[in-house]
Amino acid sequence: MSAIEAVYIFDEHNNLLLSHTYTGRPPPPLVLLPLYLQHAAPRPSVLYFPSLHPSTVLYSIVQDNLLFLSPSSGTDTEPLLILEFLHRVADALEEFLGSPLLASKIASNYDIVAQILAEVADAGIVCHGEANALRDVVETGPGVLNNLLGKVGLPGSTAVPGLQGGGPMVMSGSGGGIQRTVSGLSALQPAQTAQGSAIPWRRNNVKHTSNELYVDIVETLSVTLAPSGRLLSAFAYGSIAFTSKVSGVPDLLLSLSTGGKGAGVGNRGDQLRAVMERTVFHPCVRLGRWKSEGVMSFVPPDGRFALCGYEVDLLGPEAPLTAGKSTYGSLGLPAGVEITIGLGSSGNEFEVRLTQPTTSGGGASIATASLQSNLSGGSGIGSRLSANKPGIGTGDSKAPSLDKLTMRVPLPAAVRNVTELRPSKGEAHWSPADGSVEWKVAAKDFGPLGAVLRCTIQGPLAADGENAGAVLNGMTATTYDYTDDEPASAYQTLDGQEKQSNGIATPVSREAKVEKSRELMPTSATLSFGVKGWLASGLRVESLLLDNKKSRGLGPEVKPYKGVKYLTVSREGIELRC
Amino acid sequence: MESISRISSLLETARDLTLEAARDAGPRKSTRPLPAPQIKKLLDSRQEREVLDGLRRIIAMQYANPPQATLTFFPAVLKTLSHPYPSTRPLVYNYLIHHAELDPDTALLSINTIQKSLSDSSPRVRAMALKTMAGIRVPVISQIVSLAIKKGVSDLSPLVRKAAALACVKCVRLDETTRSQVEEYLAVLLADKQYYVAGAAVQAFMEVCSTERLDLIHPVYRRLCRMVVDMDEWGQLALLKLMTLYARRCFPRQTKRTKRAQTREQKARDFYEDLEPESQSQSFEADYEEISIADPDLTLFLTSIAPLLQSRTSAVILAVARAYLYLGPSTHLPSAIGPLIALLRSPQDIQQVALHNMVQVCLAQPSLFVPYYRHFLLRSTEPPNTRGLKLEILTLIFPSCSPEIQSLLLAELEHFSRSPNPALVRESVRAIGRCAQSPNLTSSRRCLALLLNQLHSSDDNLVGEAMQVIRHLIQRSPTEHKKTVIRLARNLDHLTSATARAGIVWLVGEFADSARDEVGQNGGVAADVWRILVKGYAGEGEEVRGQIVGLGAKVYLRWLNERKKEKEEKSVNGAGGELLLSPRTKENHDGEERGFAGNAVTHQQQEEKETSHPIELLWQHTLLLARYTPSYHLRDRARLYRALLAIPSSTELASLLLLAPKPVPQAPSPSESRREYLLGSASLVVGEDMRGVALPEWVEEGREPDAALRDETGDGTGEYVGQGESGRAGTVSAGERLDGLLAPGGGVGPAKKGGRTLDAWLNEEEGTESGGESEGSVESEEETSTEDETEEESESEEDEEAGLVK
Repeated sequence: MSAIEAVYIFDEHNNLLLSHTYTGRPPPPLVLLPLYLQHAAPRPSVLYFPSLHPSTVLYSIVQDNLLFLSPSSGTDTEPLLILEFLHRVADALEEFLGSPLLASKIASNYDIVAQILAEVADAGIVCHGEANALRDVVETGPGVLNNLLGKVGLPGSTAVPGLQGGGPMVMSGSGGGIQRTVSGLSALQPAQTAQGSAIPWRRNNVKHTSNELYVDIVETLSVTLAPSGRLLSAFAYGSIAFTSKVSGVPDLLLSLSTGGKGAGVGNRGDQLRAVMERTVFHPCVRLGRWKSEGVMSFVPPDGRFALCGYEVDLLGPEAPLTAGKSTYGSLGLPAGVEITIGLGSSGNEFEVRLTQPTTSGGGASIATASLQSNLSGGSGIGSRLSANKPGIGTGDSKAPSLDKLTMRVPLPAAVRNVTELRPSKGEAHWSPADGSVEWKVAAKDFGPLGAVLRCTIQGPLAADGENAGAVLNGMTATTYDYTDDEPASAYQTLDGQEKQSNGIATPVSREAKVEKSRELMPTSATLSFGVKGWLASGLRVESLLLDNKKSRGLGPEVKPYKGVKYLTVSREGIELRC
Repeated sequence: MESISRISSLLETARDLTLEAARDAGPRKSTRPLPAPQIKKLLDSRQEREVLDGLRRIIAMQYANPPQATLTFFPAVLKTLSHPYPSTRPLVYNYLIHHAELDPDTALLSINTIQKSLSDSSPRVRAMALKTMAGIRVPVISQIVSLAIKKGVSDLSPLVRKAAALACVKCVRLDETTRSQVEEYLAVLLADKQYYVAGAAVQAFMEVCSTERLDLIHPVYRRLCRMVVDMDEWGQLALLKLMTLYARRCFPRQTKRTKRAQTREQKARDFYEDLEPESQSQSFEADYEEISIADPDLTLFLTSIAPLLQSRTSAVILAVARAYLYLGPSTHLPSAIGPLIALLRSPQDIQQVALHNMVQVCLAQPSLFVPYYRHFLLRSTEPPNTRGLKLEILTLIFPSCSPEIQSLLLAELEHFSRSPNPALVRESVRAIGRCAQSPNLTSSRRCLALLLNQLHSSDDNLVGEAMQVIRHLIQRSPTEHKKTVIRLARNLDHLTSATARAGIVWLVGEFADSARDEVGQNGGVAADVWRILVKGYAGEGEEVRGQIVGLGAKVYLRWLNERKKEKEEKSVNGAGGELLLSPRTKENHDGEERGFAGNAVTHQQQEEKETSHPIELLWQHTLLLARYTPSYHLRDRARLYRALLAIPSSTELASLLLLAPKPVPQAPSPSESRREYLLGSASLVVGEDMRGVALPEWVEEGREPDAALRDETGDGTGEYVGQGESGRAGTVSAGERLDGLLAPGGGVGPAKKGGRTLDAWLNEEEGTESGGESEGSVESEEETSTEDETEEESESEEDEEAGLVK
């Protein structure tokens, strides 16, 4: 009834990479693929093919350019169950094969993939969703994972149990590839960890040479601006990715602070919950503690996992509908955008302007944010809090760095060409394929003065011919004054058709031209960027404590290395309408 | 919905995917194919490493594209099964499951070894063996599998018990005849103390029994409700589905006013209601229906699933919302809306499905979504499907919004109606049209004004769409919109969109006639519009021409009718009637009518003889124009009209055809057609019925299973469940007790009988005094009668089962 029938994985060229059948006789992958590809490009994730027998619903997700398909024929199923399952499969594969998932990785590790697929669902019933716990059951064999992780260059590969009897168990810590041999005999092998893990999401017998904990908070912006520049909506969708590399069974306590937002509403937990709305948690988080104190208390899985998801309404809970208060500047985003259309002598030009917000929002808030992080340095996490994670590069919370500033202006399909692109900074180009102008500005070029891009667009050929004709006929036609006044009184004298022909014969006044090219003007523009070391919501990690009393299998003197990273991303997330 | 791979793709933007792909695309380090004999040699080796290598190669061959023949290795692979190495086992099992069906005889050779593994000291090995054995699709072994499950059910390790639960499904699929045994095992497993065993058991139960055998759930109901928070997502999903069905079957509908005195809460209320003044008790009465009488067991379920709203799995959130929507809409549903909104931040694929479901909830309770309207503002980067659904939600919540929000939403819709994308324009204009249907007069007037404004746009597509929506609006209440029609007619001068012009012409033909009084002219505006249009007939498109001819026919017909009426009046009142027409034409006509009454006169003759009324002349002119139109369809139509209106005195048929009131067009929300599909089902998303499990109607009062069945059979036994044999003993005793309860003359017997007779009595009552108890519809009666049967069945099964256990 809610059974997974099969999973098919295709690579980026739509070649079949893997097919695993769980139950029944689902339609083969090569029958489904053409049907799937028949649909136009943004393909819905749930497709229905009544032409197949039995009629089949096809579920699909795309992860790292790989296409995952799962057919379901016969009875009704829960679409979200299957889609979630496919995401979990992708997660599990990533856990074992490293991120990003590549076709070649799968092809060279069929044995591991086969085991993963067999474990996650039994006879089509999903039974094992936790990627990390799968490590207990999936045999990776000697060397495979080491090679792989070494090849991918994951920062700090997770411990890989050696396989061979008496063989060394190689652990490569992130601290520079120290290799240490542990006398891990076959007793440590996955299949022999006798009882199942007591904690369903954590594998057994975790051992790390260097204990590390990382908190990565990522916020994705979704902001919509009205043509007037007024904010229609502004959300930050946040996720907390947690990386735990601590031996034994650690019990952690993560507290966040709102950075001043929502002050005056009850205690700290209430404030936090007022800012972080609609939270979802990994099953490891104790919901009771979150409800009562607003802290996340949990025993993490080993390795990296998504601890929490939340959203922040940047406009505040009851934002006024009237304009004025809710301006773009108040968000404190690092870049603002304006767009003016219908410029030039014939109104066929538009101008996009990137600005650094002049209101106190932008720079100041970032400065205060970093100040706070300095202050909070004293509490619990220590001064290493804002220290960089190895290999992350610039952009810690002290000096937020902006990068990948990209403006995208989609143009209507009628636009034939963009004749002129004049960016004051950066590079701009028009790609006819997806019908949009893309403008990239390097962060270092982006100063307080901002940057401007001016484009001239050309309409369809027919319209041009008309224009040319109008200019040629310009001398002879003298009645345009009359026609201009006409529409109001034309009811009795002229019928629409005649007037129309007159209109074409006369030279088009500027207004008419503007009106004409108005259809060619963009209706929206989107801004993408990434800011490291800054969160739009103003959330901060206040402390991350390891409860030595509750934890097991961890020496009392162990002080794990802790790192925090903030990242705000806008992936075409700031949309300006015009 | 939170998937780490998505987050890591955000985090690791720096890493260039293509670069890595290029590095990886080099010579694959993967195993180069070896010839078959060499692989066999590897398998026969005594070294674990070599055996493993051989197995790996075979698995890779099995999955490779194109697939290679791996069946030949079957015996060699099976031989490795006897190796003591744990590392090779999963691969061998994998191979075995994959190939068993192709070569059942060889597969059977492995059964013995696997059976040995069933009593291995390591629980993981036992679990794996059980899983594999059940996975071998050879029907002959079904009894062996069944025995293995029986052993697994009483295993000490929860891992094995979980495997046993999942094996139940495979066993039934393998051989239907094992069903009764399997159900017995499931009954034990459902009562397991370990939450993940119980979760798997629920999954298996849903797969094996679906909606039958709900009697197995009674004794474990409360325990499962308490356990649901700890189960894994998949167990939660199965349980949520099961309990939603169960609740409908086992708790009578709560909105009835019949008082259920069982609940203490309600007794208390009854008590206080007597004391309180009349007015207050009435206000109490208002929510009395909705909140008051939830069965405590149902409340237990509804409250225990509340924490699941913070699950990271979108399917779980939706399943909770489904339970709330169908079981306790007024009390719990509001708390599920926020988490539903949270689904909007999940990946695109999940988002789409979530939106479909949100629309479904929104159709039921639009007002709940109002605070979240900002989430449904459209974005230019979204796929069309998502946009359509968002627009639909916006229009659904529109009537319940405050005026400020309404104007914001309208501005939003207006913005998108000017988009270059025709599909989006159409959808947003239609959305405005749906908003205009709101009962609030000012807002619907604002919508209409907005649409009328759009007629001035230079975008033909937009104008056409807007015109259609306006037409629908006017058709819905023509009397209110007399002036609108005239204003529209004025637009004909500069409109270019053919569909819009045609629409206006049609509207003028239909409704402008009623505007006559104000204009005071014969034929009203319609005749004048007709006159002007005929002038430009040659320049019009075919669609508009057709409408012009139609308009002409209507005006002419009305004119004829008018004249006829006058004539009748005249004949009644004598010759001194007041004239509406100019005296000259009037006389003419009168004379003519009388003169030619007897002999049938053709039109042409009539035309020639008369210095006729302009309308008539215009009609003739129009017919001539239509006659020489290239389109045969239009010529046909003109011919039809000509024939219809050929005899001015008999216009009844023509009136029937042309002036018949047109049915009012309905523009329901697009998802209205999907309303009957279950929330969260695939049918809802694809819009086709796919034979899912239908949600049963609420069980009728008095027909529900006794609440005492859900009493936990002594918490003591509950504690022991799952600990070897004693667990079985515990459930056996539960079964016995159940049996005792159901036995004739037992505790429940009389109550049940009483319920039935009461029902029969109620039915009679309903039959005689129709409508008094109209809530108990015929359908539900049928429902319950079938349910009766199932109940009886289940009782007998219960007896059987008890016998078996004994």
